[in-house]
Amino acid sequence: MADVTRSSGITEQIRLVTGLRWQILRNGLRKKNNRLDLIGLIFAGVLSGIFVFGMCFAFYGGAYFFLSKGRLGWIALLFWGIFLFWQVFPVFVAGLGASFEFRALLRFPLSLSAFYVIGLAYGLADFSAIASVCWLLSMTAGAAVAKPGILPAMVLIVTVFVLFNVTLERLIGSWLEKLLSRRRTREIFLGLFVLSMISLNFINPLLQRYGAEARPFVMHLLPYLVLFPPSLAGRAVAEISQLHPAGFLLASGGLLLYLLLFSAFLWRRFAAQYRGEELSESAAPVRPMVRTIAKTEQGADGLGLLSPQVAAVVRKEFRYLTRNGFAFLTLLMPPLLVLVFSSQFAGRHPTVSGQAVSAEMFFPGMMAYLILILMAPAYNSFAYEGRGIQTYFTAPLRFGDVFVGKNLVLVAVLTLEIALSMAMLAWRVGVPSAPRLSATIAAIVFTIAGQLTVANWSSLSFPRRLEFGRMRGQRQSGMAVLVAFGSQILTGAISAVILLAGRWTGNPWLPVEAFALLAVAAMGGYVASLAGLTKLAEKKKETLIEALCR
Amino acid sequence: MPEIAIQTQKLSRTFGNLIAVDGIDLQVTAGQFFGFLGPNGAGKSTTIKMLTGLLAPTSGSMQLLGLDFAANPVEVKRQIGVVPEGMGLFERLTGTEYLHFVGRMYGLDRPTTQRRSEELLDFMQLSDRPKTMVADYSHGMQKKLALAAAVIHGPRILFLDEPFEGVDALAAGALKALLGRMTERGTTIFLTSHVLEIVERLCSHVAIIHNGRLVAQGSLDELRAGVSGAEGTQTTLEQIFLSIVGQEGASRPQLEELSWLM
Repeated sequence: MADVTRSSGITEQIRLVTGLRWQILRNGLRKKNNRLDLIGLIFAGVLSGIFVFGMCFAFYGGAYFFLSKGRLGWIALLFWGIFLFWQVFPVFVAGLGASFEFRALLRFPLSLSAFYVIGLAYGLADFSAIASVCWLLSMTAGAAVAKPGILPAMVLIVTVFVLFNVTLERLIGSWLEKLLSRRRTREIFLGLFVLSMISLNFINPLLQRYGAEARPFVMHLLPYLVLFPPSLAGRAVAEISQLHPAGFLLASGGLLLYLLLFSAFLWRRFAAQYRGEELSESAAPVRPMVRTIAKTEQGADGLGLLSPQVAAVVRKEFRYLTRNGFAFLTLLMPPLLVLVFSSQFAGRHPTVSGQAVSAEMFFPGMMAYLILILMAPAYNSFAYEGRGIQTYFTAPLRFGDVFVGKNLVLVAVLTLEIALSMAMLAWRVGVPSAPRLSATIAAIVFTIAGQLTVANWSSLSFPRRLEFGRMRGQRQSGMAVLVAFGSQILTGAISAVILLAGRWTGNPWLPVEAFALLAVAAMGGYVASLAGLTKLAEKKKETLIEALCR
Repeated sequence: MPEIAIQTQKLSRTFGNLIAVDGIDLQVTAGQFFGFLGPNGAGKSTTIKMLTGLLAPTSGSMQLLGLDFAANPVEVKRQIGVVPEGMGLFERLTGTEYLHFVGRMYGLDRPTTQRRSEELLDFMQLSDRPKTMVADYSHGMQKKLALAAAVIHGPRILFLDEPFEGVDALAAGALKALLGRMTERGTTIFLTSHVLEIVERLCSHVAIIHNGRLVAQGSLDELRAGVSGAEGTQTTLEQIFLSIVGQEGASRPQLEELSWLM
C-alpha cells in the first residue's frame, strides 16, 4: 500500500507558495517574446524602488515633525495616505501581476486556518503591501526618534494597522473575485471602470463650477472621518504621546475591533472557498425541454448584396460587438470625449472664457482624435476570435472576404459614432464653414480607407489574443501598436499639410479636392490589397492560429 | 478501381530542428472509416492540420478526392469537414448562431442552413439551450457542436480529432451510428483517438504514426496478420499498437521503480 505523507507546517507551506510565485514570474519571463517585459520590469522595479525609498524619508520626516512639534492631529493623515495606497493601488495594477489562482492551492491538504494564514501572507507579498509596510516602519522610526517612549505603543499600533490593511485588501479582492466571476458582470465592471477613468476629466470643470458650493458640505463631513481605522490609528499615537492611556486604549480598541470584524468577514469568505464554492459559469445541468421552433427565415437576406461568406462574417462581428460589454460601453466614449474636450477647450461652456478655440480648428481636430481612438482595434482585428480563427482557414473562402466583413462592421460603427459626435460638436461648438466641413468628411474617408489597408496587414502580421472582460495580461502586440502609431502619424501629417496648403493658397476648397482625390486613391488601394491579404493570410496562418489558439 | 479520398506523397513538416512528420505516404480509399493512431507527440495532429489546410507542409504533396490541395484549396475545403484540435468554435455565438455562421461560410443558402442547423441541434441534443453562448457550454456540448458544424455542409471527407472525448455515452452512441451511416453513403472518415477500443469498433482501416513516420497502414485484418496473438484469441488493436509502437518500450519506466506506490 502507498505510504501517506505527514502534513507540512504552515511556515513550510508559506515558503512553498512564495517559491511558487517566484517561479511563475521567472518562467513567464523566460519566454522569448517576454524579454521586453523583463527590461520593462527591471525599469519599473528601479523606479518603484526610488519611489518607495523616497516616500520612506517623507513618512519618517512626517512622523518625526508632527510628534516633535506637537501637531498630533496630523499623524492620522500619514495613516490615511498609506491606507488609501494599500487598498486602491492593487486595483490599478491588476493587469500586471503574475497570473496565479490562489484558490488552486485548495487541492492540497491544507487546513482552513492554514489556508487563511497563507492567504494573508500572500497578500503581504503584493507591491502595495511591501511599500506600505516600509513606510509604516519609517513612521515608527520617525516617531521613536521624536519620542522614544512611545516605541512599544507605536509597534503595537502599526502591527494592528498592518493586519487590518492586509485583511481588508484580501477581503476586497475576494469580494471582487466573487462579483467578477460572472462574465457579464466582469465586462460591465471593466467598462464602468474605464468610463469612470474617463469621467475623471470632468472633475476640473465640475470643481470650477460647483466647488465653492460643495465646500461647506465636505467640511461638515470631515469630522466623521475620526471613526475610520486610519484616524483611529493616528489618534492612538497622539493619545499615547500625550500620556493619555485611556484615550490610547479606546482608539486602539476601535482599531482592533475593525480588525476583528473584517477578519470575521474574511474568514467567512475563505471558508466558503475552502468548502468548494463554485464561481465558474460552466453550464449547469438542465432538464431537457421541448425545442422551441426557431423562426424560419425564408425571406430575402437583409445583407443580400453581400456574398454569403461576407454576410456571415458581418453578422458574427455584429454579434460579437453586442456581446463584448467592454467594447459596447466604450462606444460611449466618443460622445463623452466630445463633451469633455468641448467643456475644457472650446464651445459655450460657462467655464470657458473668450479664448475658446473656433469650430474651424476644433471640429477637424476632434474628428482626427476620435478616428485615432476608434481605429485602434482594427490593427489587431482577430484579437477576440480565439480558436474560432481556425474556421476561417478550414472554410472554402478567400481570406479577403473575412476582412471585408470585419471592415464593413467597423465602418458602420465609425459612421454612427462620427455622426453622433458631429451632432454633439455642432451643439457644443457650432458647425464649421462648408469647405471645412466637406474637407473634414473627405479626410475622414481617406484616413479610414488608408488605415484599414495597413490595419488589415497588421492584424495578420502581429496578432495577439485578447479575452472579453479581462484585465489581466490584456496587451496588444508592441509592433501592432507601433504600426498603428506610425500609420496614424502619417495620415495625420498628410492631412495637416493639406489643410495648411489650403490656408496658404487662400483657396478653402483646395483641401476638399485634395482629400477627395486621396480618398478615392485610398479606397482603390484598399480593394487592390484584398488579394494580397488573402495570400498573406495563407502565409501567416500558422502564426495567427498559434497566437490566437493558445 | 475505388476512388482515392486522401493520398499523400512524402508529406513532411518540420518545426526548426524538430521533424514532426517525416515523409509519410498515406492512402485512404473513399468510404473508409480510417483510424489514425500514434502515441503522444507522434505527429497525428500535425498531419491532420496539414490535411485540412491549417498547416502548410514543409515538403511533399497531398491530394484529396483527386484534387491537389495546394493548387485547389477552396475547392478541397468545400468538400471536407473538420473538427480541429481545440474545436475552433466562436465562443461568443450561441449554438444556433454558430451553425448558421458555418453553414453560410460553406455557401449554403439561408433556408437550408436554418433547416440543417435545427436538425443537427436536435440530433446532438443541444436545442434546449437556444440562448446559451458556446462559452457557457460544457466540454462535451462544445464537442457535439463542433461535430455538427463539421457536417452541416455534407462533406465527402470528415476529419475528426478525438471526436468522442468528453461526449456522454448516449450521444456517443448516436454519433457512432451517424458516422457509420455516413461511411455507408460514401463519406470518408479520418479519425484520431487515443481510445483504441473505439477505433477498433468503428474503423475498417488504420494507420499508425510514430516519431513522425508511418510505421503501419492497412485494414485491421492485415495488421492482425502481422502480429501473433495468443492462440485461439483474436489480436486486439491495443496489442497491435503496443507491438508496433511499444517495441521501443525498453526505455519505458518499469513498475518496479514505483514500488513505494504499491
